[in-house]
Amino acid sequence: MNTIAEHIADFLKEYPPFNHLTFQELSEIATNIRVVNLEKHKVLFQINDVLHDSFYVVASGVINLSVIADAEETLLNKCHEGDIFGLRPFFAKNNYMMTAKAREESIIYAIPIATFRPFVANNSEVLNFLLESFATNTRNPKDKENLNGKLISDNVFYSDQQSEMQYFQSLSYNNSPLITTKNAIVQDVAQLMTEALINNIIVCDNTIPIGIVTDTDMRSKIATGRFPITISVDKIMSSPVITVLENVSLAEAQLLMLKHNVTHLCVTQDGTNQSSIKGIISERDLIVAQASNPGVLIKEIKRSQTPKDLKQIRERLSDLIQNSIHKNIPLSHVNNIASEINMAIIKRSVELSILDLGSPPARFAWLSIGSQGRKEQLLLTDQDSILIFEDVTPDKYRDVKDYFLKLGKKTTATLEKVGYELCPNGHMGSNMLWCKSLTDWTKQYNSWMNTPGENSNDLSSIFFDYEIAFGEQRIEEAIGNVIFKNAQNNTLFFDFLGNDALKKNSPLSFFKKFIVEEEGPNKDKFDIKTRALMPLIDAARLFVLNYNLKGINNTYLRFKQLAITDAKNAEIYLNCAEAFLTLSKFRTLEGLKNDNSGQFINLNELSKIDKEKLKNAFAPMKELEELIKSKFQLTQFS
Amino acid sequence: MLDWLKNINKEHPEFWKTYISKFEKKPNRFVILSTETSGLNPTKDVILSIGSFAVVNNSVIIGDSFEAVLLQYKFLHDNGLSNEFIVESKMKKLGESEAIQSLIVFIGNAVLVGHHIDFDVEMINAALERLDCGRLKNEALDIDVMYRKLLDINDRQFSLDELCTIFKIPKSDRNSSSEDAYKIALLFLKLKSRLGIK
Repeated sequence: MNTIAEHIADFLKEYPPFNHLTFQELSEIATNIRVVNLEKHKVLFQINDVLHDSFYVVASGVINLSVIADAEETLLNKCHEGDIFGLRPFFAKNNYMMTAKAREESIIYAIPIATFRPFVANNSEVLNFLLESFATNTRNPKDKENLNGKLISDNVFYSDQQSEMQYFQSLSYNNSPLITTKNAIVQDVAQLMTEALINNIIVCDNTIPIGIVTDTDMRSKIATGRFPITISVDKIMSSPVITVLENVSLAEAQLLMLKHNVTHLCVTQDGTNQSSIKGIISERDLIVAQASNPGVLIKEIKRSQTPKDLKQIRERLSDLIQNSIHKNIPLSHVNNIASEINMAIIKRSVELSILDLGSPPARFAWLSIGSQGRKEQLLLTDQDSILIFEDVTPDKYRDVKDYFLKLGKKTTATLEKVGYELCPNGHMGSNMLWCKSLTDWTKQYNSWMNTPGENSNDLSSIFFDYEIAFGEQRIEEAIGNVIFKNAQNNTLFFDFLGNDALKKNSPLSFFKKFIVEEEGPNKDKFDIKTRALMPLIDAARLFVLNYNLKGINNTYLRFKQLAITDAKNAEIYLNCAEAFLTLSKFRTLEGLKNDNSGQFINLNELSKIDKEKLKNAFAPMKELEELIKSKFQLTQFS
Repeated sequence: MLDWLKNINKEHPEFWKTYISKFEKKPNRFVILSTETSGLNPTKDVILSIGSFAVVNNSVIIGDSFEAVLLQYKFLHDNGLSNEFIVESKMKKLGESEAIQSLIVFIGNAVLVGHHIDFDVEMINAALERLDCGRLKNEALDIDVMYRKLLDINDRQFSLDELCTIFKIPKSDRNSSSEDAYKIALLFLKLKSRLGIK
């Protein structure tokens, strides 16, 4: 009898495939377990390591599984409590194909294969689980849906990944290329290529590639009559061959082809043309690999029929964002792609509602407001939207409004199913208040902007960041005109917005310490959204409205544009633009880590360097504040 | 003091001789040890239960463990306790002499690790004396001392609970010497890697 073995058995029985075993069996397995502690960043096994005699279950902490391409690490999967990984030795004999590394300090159970094997052999359910896991690709969200939580984590094979951005996608390529010797006769070689239906052949000296003959060489050198078909192939081959390492990424391969003006790359053992050949990458392989890029995601969104379909696509977007950030792809670029995909999901959600309700009785526009309106939404945050429909005759008004309210309700419900929570303040097109005619909206904006103090309760600045998701472009333009017309020389309004922007609490104390939450669930954490991002967002909005800069909704781009428009303060704006990106990245990383909105940063988990980086990003805020104060001479609401 | 003088002419039991002979080799494992006792006085109090795990190659070997409830008839009798609750537990029950003997066989020449291990060692030594054996020869490590060394703290001690909180080891609602030994084992792994102990 072993008390701790029983506790471990208790733990295991919650997770598949262990849930198919009896407690007695689990206790027996648990008795043979080794418990290992992994410090943060400690590697448990890496690519090409000899297989261990055990597989692993995460008891606490997080283990990252990753592969390396172009000498950079790409995250395949995160293993959380109860996840199984490293099961490769059970089935395969070759070495590990990925790296397992502790993302945070973790405790894992090492279960010896020899102990577990009899339980697999004698229990068909356990066996099925393992076979199914290996037969399926967890990266495919359709399977994820069916087998949620039922799969082991390391059956992800890199070449199969669907949701990578092309920057670091790896390629599958032909690894049994046609090969010939330099003395072969052109005619025979051509015959060989024709039979194999392949447009290239590598000329080898032993196994070392010395040249390549492609259809192009046949066309330009033989068919033009420059060489007879009876000469040896080395007379017409292109040489040297451009060679690469096996795990070259799509982007790298593309660059190499462009740079050398070739259509084929030869994969060799060590990547040079002095080692033996492993395969060939053709332009076609690149095209095939590109089939899974953001563009394809958008296409799939357009074809989706149910909220469930959309939800799966949104999950793939999360993977894509996570990997992009991991790979240091510029955040502004990730922002663009993510917001296009988000927008497509919203658009499709409105479409689905219309398919359900029938054609709308009037023209309308569905606007995203807030962070999605600014195109800077990387994490799943709550939804903010408004609906504007064209003016109709008074007798029809009720029916029309009724229809659009229904449309709003359906759409927000769909989006909720996709994973965007409903706005806690009710800032959504499904709300009576925010679903109304163009005239009513014009009145609304007029009153907000001309008498800002009076009904400021329901004035949220997010109403000034909007982007059309669905419907009539002209309605959006009309509202834009109303806003910018009202903004002109409107001291009162800017006074209000300016004060609102300055009202936010500063991120650092007098002694340059982070000001953290004093109570509540996020005690001792740093509110990066309210204390650091919001002031920048508010200020950027304030200035673009003031400078009459239409159509630029993104905070980063707003600052960039302001640097051009107001050149004498350019430096401040540019610093703010950079700071905004840095801060967004911190927030996104925190959010991805905890699967939440990332609003509260746990400072204890930041390294000293990161803390400094974070503090440095606050520096431009002070200058920005001064700029606001001097420009708007704030008085009325101070 | 001068304990060895007392024992110099005594004939030690067989298991003890085997134990002593093990120290010719260098230890290759750690043994985590936790005891539950009736009080804090090594001469008057007795061990009620023992929980123990081996740590080899930076991992806790769940199977390589020893745990037992020690039936202390005299202690129970003197305090007017029935041994009903002990009988109810599923843990292995042994008389003190058997238990200590098995424990000695189990630990061998391993380096002992515990929380305030000196006390556990003293308690075991007292029991060994009753069996006409010498004192434990094993090296011992104390996780509290290790932790204080890590942070260079000299002026206070840390309880097991405090250490578990610091290292985010979940507390279990069940409390026994085995539970404690397991928690100590995890703490030891964490401290060991931080201090770079091989």
